[in-house]
Amino acid sequence: MLSNNYKAKNPANLISNPAGAAVDRLAALGLPDKELFLPAGLLGFPACRHYKLEPFEPGDGSESPFLLLNAVGHDLTFPLIHPASMGLDYRFPRSAELLAALGARAPEDLLPLLIVTLRETLEEITVNLQGPLIVNPTAALGAQLVLEDQPLRHPLLKPEAAEDLMRSR
Amino acid sequence: MLILSRKSGESIAIGDDITITIVTISGSQVRLGIAAPREVRVLREEIYKAMQEENRAAANVPDSGRKLEDALKQLQSKKPGEPDK
Repeated sequence: MLSNNYKAKNPANLISNPAGAAVDRLAALGLPDKELFLPAGLLGFPACRHYKLEPFEPGDGSESPFLLLNAVGHDLTFPLIHPASMGLDYRFPRSAELLAALGARAPEDLLPLLIVTLRETLEEITVNLQGPLIVNPTAALGAQLVLEDQPLRHPLLKPEAAEDLMRSR
Repeated sequence: MLILSRKSGESIAIGDDITITIVTISGSQVRLGIAAPREVRVLREEIYKAMQEENRAAANVPDSGRKLEDALKQLQSKKPGEPDK
Protein backbone atom coordinates (compact mmCIF):
# COMPACT_ATOMS: atom_id res chain seq x y z
CA MET A 1 0.00 0.00 0.00
CA LEU A 2 1.41 3.37 -0.97
CA SER A 3 1.81 5.90 1.83
CA ASN A 4 3.49 9.29 2.00
CA ASN A 5 5.82 7.93 4.65
CA TYR A 6 7.06 5.21 2.35
CA LYS A 7 7.63 7.71 -0.43
CA ALA A 8 9.68 10.01 1.84
CA LYS A 9 12.00 7.16 2.87
CA ASN A 10 12.51 6.13 -0.70
CA PRO A 11 15.66 7.49 -2.31
CA ALA A 12 15.01 5.86 -5.68
CA ASN A 13 11.37 6.84 -5.42
CA LEU A 14 10.35 3.21 -5.86
CA ILE A 15 6.60 2.98 -5.74
CA SER A 16 5.08 -0.45 -5.44
CA ASN A 17 1.83 0.26 -7.16
CA PRO A 18 2.02 3.60 -8.95
CA ALA A 19 -1.13 5.57 -9.71
CA GLY A 20 -2.10 4.70 -13.25
CA ALA A 21 -2.10 1.10 -12.06
CA ALA A 22 0.48 -0.15 -14.53
CA VAL A 23 0.86 -3.23 -12.42
CA ASP A 24 -2.90 -3.75 -12.34
CA ARG A 25 -2.96 -3.63 -16.11
CA LEU A 26 -0.20 -6.18 -16.17
CA ALA A 27 -2.45 -8.29 -14.00
CA ALA A 28 -4.63 -8.51 -17.11
CA LEU A 29 -1.91 -10.88 -18.27
CA GLY A 30 -3.19 -13.21 -15.58
CA LEU A 31 0.15 -13.23 -13.81
CA PRO A 32 1.74 -15.65 -13.62
CA ASP A 33 -0.36 -18.13 -15.54
CA LYS A 34 -0.84 -16.52 -18.93
CA GLU A 35 2.09 -16.57 -21.29
CA LEU A 36 3.58 -13.51 -22.91
CA PHE A 37 4.69 -13.99 -26.51
CA LEU A 38 7.60 -12.01 -27.95
CA PRO A 39 7.56 -12.62 -31.73
CA ALA A 40 11.18 -11.45 -32.07
CA GLY A 41 12.40 -12.49 -28.63
CA LEU A 42 14.93 -10.35 -26.80
CA LEU A 43 18.15 -9.29 -28.51
CA GLY A 44 20.70 -12.04 -27.95
CA PHE A 45 18.01 -14.63 -27.10
CA PRO A 46 16.18 -15.31 -30.35
CA ALA A 47 15.23 -18.89 -29.38
CA CYS A 48 13.14 -17.75 -26.40
CA ARG A 49 9.81 -16.24 -27.34
CA HIS A 50 7.45 -17.50 -24.66
CA TYR A 51 7.67 -15.97 -21.22
CA LYS A 52 5.75 -15.69 -18.00
CA LEU A 53 5.67 -12.46 -16.07
CA GLU A 54 5.29 -12.59 -12.31
CA PRO A 55 5.68 -10.16 -9.44
CA PHE A 56 8.89 -10.48 -7.46
CA GLU A 57 7.88 -11.21 -3.90
CA PRO A 58 10.50 -10.62 -1.20
CA GLY A 59 10.80 -13.35 1.43
CA ASP A 60 9.32 -11.18 4.15
CA GLY A 61 6.10 -10.70 2.18
CA SER A 62 6.61 -6.97 1.68
CA GLU A 63 5.62 -5.27 -1.57
CA SER A 64 8.09 -4.74 -4.34
CA PRO A 65 7.91 -2.92 -7.67
CA PHE A 66 10.01 -5.59 -9.37
CA LEU A 67 8.72 -8.19 -11.80
CA LEU A 68 10.38 -11.31 -13.11
CA LEU A 69 10.33 -12.29 -16.77
CA ASN A 70 10.81 -16.06 -16.92
CA ALA A 71 11.29 -17.88 -20.20
CA VAL A 72 9.08 -20.93 -20.71
CA GLY A 73 11.10 -24.06 -21.36
CA HIS A 74 14.45 -22.34 -20.88
CA ASP A 75 16.41 -21.54 -17.78
CA LEU A 76 16.29 -17.81 -18.36
CA THR A 77 15.05 -15.01 -16.17
CA PHE A 78 15.22 -11.20 -16.15
CA PRO A 79 14.17 -8.75 -13.45
CA LEU A 80 11.96 -5.92 -14.74
CA ILE A 81 10.55 -2.69 -13.42
CA HIS A 82 7.96 -0.26 -14.76
CA PRO A 83 9.55 3.20 -15.22
CA ALA A 84 6.73 4.83 -13.25
CA SER A 85 7.85 2.75 -10.25
CA MET A 86 11.12 4.68 -10.39
CA GLY A 87 9.39 8.03 -10.82
CA LEU A 88 10.70 8.22 -14.38
CA ASP A 89 8.76 10.13 -17.00
CA TYR A 90 9.59 7.62 -19.68
CA ARG A 91 8.52 8.07 -23.28
CA PHE A 92 8.85 5.71 -26.19
CA PRO A 93 7.66 6.07 -29.79
CA ARG A 94 4.26 4.44 -30.30
CA SER A 95 4.36 4.04 -34.05
CA ALA A 96 1.53 2.58 -36.07
CA GLU A 97 3.86 -0.30 -36.88
CA LEU A 98 4.51 -1.04 -33.21
CA LEU A 99 0.81 -0.95 -32.39
CA ALA A 100 0.07 -3.31 -35.27
CA ALA A 101 2.89 -5.68 -34.29
CA LEU A 102 1.56 -5.91 -30.72
CA GLY A 103 -2.13 -6.05 -31.65
CA ALA A 104 -2.83 -2.75 -29.93
CA ARG A 105 -5.75 -0.57 -30.97
CA ALA A 106 -4.59 2.53 -29.10
CA PRO A 107 -1.20 3.83 -27.89
CA GLU A 108 -2.44 3.58 -24.28
CA ASP A 109 -2.67 -0.19 -24.69
CA LEU A 110 1.13 -0.40 -24.57
CA LEU A 111 3.24 -0.53 -21.39
CA PRO A 112 7.01 -0.19 -21.12
CA LEU A 113 8.96 -2.47 -18.82
CA LEU A 114 12.64 -1.93 -18.18
CA ILE A 115 15.16 -4.71 -17.78
CA VAL A 116 17.15 -4.39 -14.56
CA THR A 117 20.83 -5.30 -14.63
CA LEU A 118 21.75 -6.39 -11.13
CA ARG A 119 25.33 -5.95 -10.07
CA GLU A 120 27.38 -6.53 -6.95
CA THR A 121 26.62 -3.21 -5.29
CA LEU A 122 23.32 -1.37 -5.07
CA GLU A 123 24.65 1.85 -6.54
CA GLU A 124 25.81 -0.03 -9.66
CA ILE A 125 22.40 -1.52 -10.46
CA THR A 126 21.06 -0.07 -13.69
CA VAL A 127 17.94 -0.21 -15.84
CA ASN A 128 18.03 -0.38 -19.63
CA LEU A 129 16.20 2.65 -21.03
CA GLN A 130 17.54 2.02 -24.53
CA GLY A 131 15.96 -1.42 -24.88
CA PRO A 132 12.53 -1.34 -23.22
CA LEU A 133 10.27 -4.35 -23.36
CA ILE A 134 6.98 -2.98 -24.70
CA VAL A 135 4.01 -5.09 -23.71
CA ASN A 136 0.38 -5.19 -24.74
CA PRO A 137 -1.11 -6.95 -21.70
CA THR A 138 -4.49 -7.58 -23.34
CA ALA A 139 -3.00 -9.37 -26.34
CA ALA A 140 -0.15 -10.86 -24.27
CA LEU A 141 2.35 -9.71 -26.88
CA GLY A 142 5.64 -7.93 -26.38
CA ALA A 143 8.70 -6.64 -28.21
CA GLN A 144 12.02 -5.14 -27.22
CA LEU A 145 12.58 -1.80 -28.92
CA VAL A 146 15.97 -0.20 -29.51
CA LEU A 147 15.87 3.53 -28.78
CA GLU A 148 19.32 4.78 -29.68
CA ASP A 149 18.91 8.16 -27.99
CA GLN A 150 18.26 6.60 -24.59
CA PRO A 151 20.95 5.34 -22.21
CA LEU A 152 21.67 1.65 -22.02
CA ARG A 153 22.47 1.92 -18.32
CA HIS A 154 20.49 4.25 -16.11
CA PRO A 155 21.14 3.99 -12.37
CA LEU A 156 18.35 2.56 -10.26
CA LEU A 157 19.39 4.77 -7.39
CA LYS A 158 19.36 8.55 -7.55
CA PRO A 159 22.86 10.17 -7.36
CA GLU A 160 22.29 11.71 -3.89
CA ALA A 161 21.17 8.39 -2.50
CA ALA A 162 24.11 6.57 -4.10
CA GLU A 163 26.50 9.07 -2.49
CA ASP A 164 24.84 8.57 0.91
CA LEU A 165 25.22 4.86 0.50
CA MET A 166 28.90 5.05 -0.36
CA ARG A 167 29.63 7.50 2.47
CA SER A 168 27.91 5.26 4.97
CA ARG A 169 30.24 2.34 4.25
CA MET B 1 31.56 -13.07 -45.19
CA LEU B 2 30.65 -12.34 -48.82
CA ILE B 3 32.60 -9.35 -50.21
CA LEU B 4 31.08 -7.37 -53.06
CA SER B 5 32.01 -4.09 -54.70
CA ARG B 6 29.28 -1.61 -55.48
CA LYS B 7 29.15 1.90 -56.85
CA SER B 8 26.88 4.69 -55.74
CA GLY B 9 23.32 3.91 -56.72
CA GLU B 10 23.89 0.15 -56.96
CA SER B 11 22.19 -2.36 -54.70
CA ILE B 12 22.48 -5.77 -53.09
CA ALA B 13 19.58 -8.21 -52.69
CA ILE B 14 19.60 -10.36 -49.52
CA GLY B 15 17.12 -13.24 -49.57
CA ASP B 16 13.81 -12.32 -51.11
CA ASP B 17 12.90 -9.45 -48.82
CA ILE B 18 15.93 -7.30 -48.14
CA THR B 19 17.68 -4.78 -50.37
CA ILE B 20 20.67 -2.63 -49.50
CA THR B 21 21.42 0.36 -51.72
CA ILE B 22 24.53 2.53 -51.79
CA VAL B 23 22.96 6.01 -51.65
CA THR B 24 26.09 8.17 -51.57
CA ILE B 25 29.79 7.78 -51.00
CA SER B 26 31.52 10.76 -49.45
CA GLY B 27 35.14 10.44 -48.44
CA SER B 28 35.35 7.53 -46.01
CA GLN B 29 31.64 7.51 -45.28
CA VAL B 30 29.03 5.45 -47.09
CA ARG B 31 25.36 6.26 -46.90
CA LEU B 32 23.26 3.08 -47.13
CA GLY B 33 19.58 2.60 -47.76
CA ILE B 34 18.02 -0.54 -46.31
CA ALA B 35 14.68 -1.89 -47.44
CA ALA B 36 13.49 -4.73 -45.23
CA PRO B 37 10.21 -6.06 -43.79
CA ARG B 38 9.23 -4.28 -40.59
CA GLU B 39 9.79 -7.40 -38.50
CA VAL B 40 13.46 -7.46 -39.44
CA ARG B 41 15.53 -5.40 -37.01
CA VAL B 42 18.06 -3.15 -38.74
CA LEU B 43 20.62 -1.62 -36.41
CA ARG B 44 24.12 -0.21 -36.47
CA GLU B 45 26.16 -3.21 -35.40
CA GLU B 46 27.74 -1.59 -32.35
CA ILE B 47 24.28 -0.70 -31.02
CA TYR B 48 23.08 -4.25 -31.60
CA LYS B 49 26.13 -5.72 -29.88
CA ALA B 50 25.88 -3.40 -26.90
CA MET B 51 22.19 -4.20 -26.43
CA GLN B 52 22.85 -7.92 -26.73
CA GLU B 53 25.59 -7.63 -24.11
CA GLU B 54 23.38 -5.69 -21.74
CA ASN B 55 20.56 -8.24 -22.09
CA ARG B 56 23.06 -11.01 -21.38
CA ALA B 57 24.39 -9.18 -18.34
CA ALA B 58 20.85 -8.87 -17.02
CA ALA B 59 19.97 -12.53 -17.60
CA ASN B 60 20.20 -15.13 -14.85
CA VAL B 61 22.23 -13.00 -12.46
CA PRO B 62 23.34 -15.36 -9.65
CA ASP B 63 21.60 -14.72 -6.34
CA SER B 64 19.20 -12.28 -8.00
CA GLY B 65 16.47 -12.90 -5.43
CA ARG B 66 18.78 -11.89 -2.60
CA LYS B 67 20.11 -8.90 -4.58
CA LEU B 68 16.59 -7.64 -5.28
CA GLU B 69 15.67 -8.10 -1.62
CA ASP B 70 18.84 -6.30 -0.52
CA ALA B 71 18.08 -3.47 -2.93
CA LEU B 72 14.60 -3.14 -1.46
CA LYS B 73 15.87 -3.30 2.14
CA GLN B 74 18.52 -0.65 1.55
CA LEU B 75 16.05 1.59 -0.21
CA GLN B 76 13.55 1.30 2.62
CA SER B 77 16.09 1.98 5.40
CA LYS B 78 18.06 4.86 3.92
CA LYS B 79 17.53 8.43 5.06
CA PRO B 80 14.98 10.36 2.97
CA GLY B 81 15.84 11.70 -0.48
CA GLU B 82 13.74 14.12 -2.46
CA PRO B 83 11.04 12.26 -4.39
CA ASP B 84 10.96 12.88 -8.13
CA LYS B 85 8.31 15.22 -9.49
